[in-house]
Amino acid sequence: MKTSIVKNVVKVILPLIQIFGAYVIIFGHVSPGGGFAGGSIVGSSLILYRLIYGSERADRKFIYFYLLKLVSISLVVYGTLKGLIFILEHLGFNGFIPIGVPGNLLSGGLIMPLNVLIGIVVSITFYFIATLFEEGELENVNGAE
Amino acid sequence: MTIFNILIIIIMIIGAIASAYTKNLLAAVIIFMVYSLMMAIVWQQLNAPDLAITEASVGAGITSILFILALRRMRMIKK
Repeated sequence: MKTSIVKNVVKVILPLIQIFGAYVIIFGHVSPGGGFAGGSIVGSSLILYRLIYGSERADRKFIYFYLLKLVSISLVVYGTLKGLIFILEHLGFNGFIPIGVPGNLLSGGLIMPLNVLIGIVVSITFYFIATLFEEGELENVNGAE
Repeated sequence: MTIFNILIIIIMIIGAIASAYTKNLLAAVIIFMVYSLMMAIVWQQLNAPDLAITEASVGAGITSILFILALRRMRMIKK
């Protein structure tokens, strides 16, 4: 499973998988896709990196402490933005966030930033689930140092 | 187009029965992946492309990877 053919093929196709996942996330409000589907594509690319290049190299590149901090900050920002939308709607500030031209990339209000946050959370959560399945515990729990 | 849909559904039924009756567990996981991809094509035929992308990425990607990782952890297949 760790021959040089597999390593060189993965080195070529891994950026393409991640670019496709980022496209599905960012264009989620004008074309099929969204935060969950694109996040699972990016998460499967992270799992592929860990399976092929080994757990030590993946632990050095994706440090558990910073990934968990990124997930937590994304969840807090998601809740804040989503609550802000409901509160502004209730108070009557309908046109507070510009909507834009329908069909463009910058349209639909806050849907694209919310999709990006969902994609971050879903991809890192799938990576953690696969790590737990493979090894039974998460490495580097005590932090980066 | 109805012949195409009937063919896809026959492949799905055969795959569902075969993945339950297969003795080799890795073969059962791969047949389940084929079933999930056919399900994605059926969602596309029913005019639900959003659900088709989700089915293809979660059903055929993440679920199969987790099944194969569980088989590796149980020493059912060699590393």
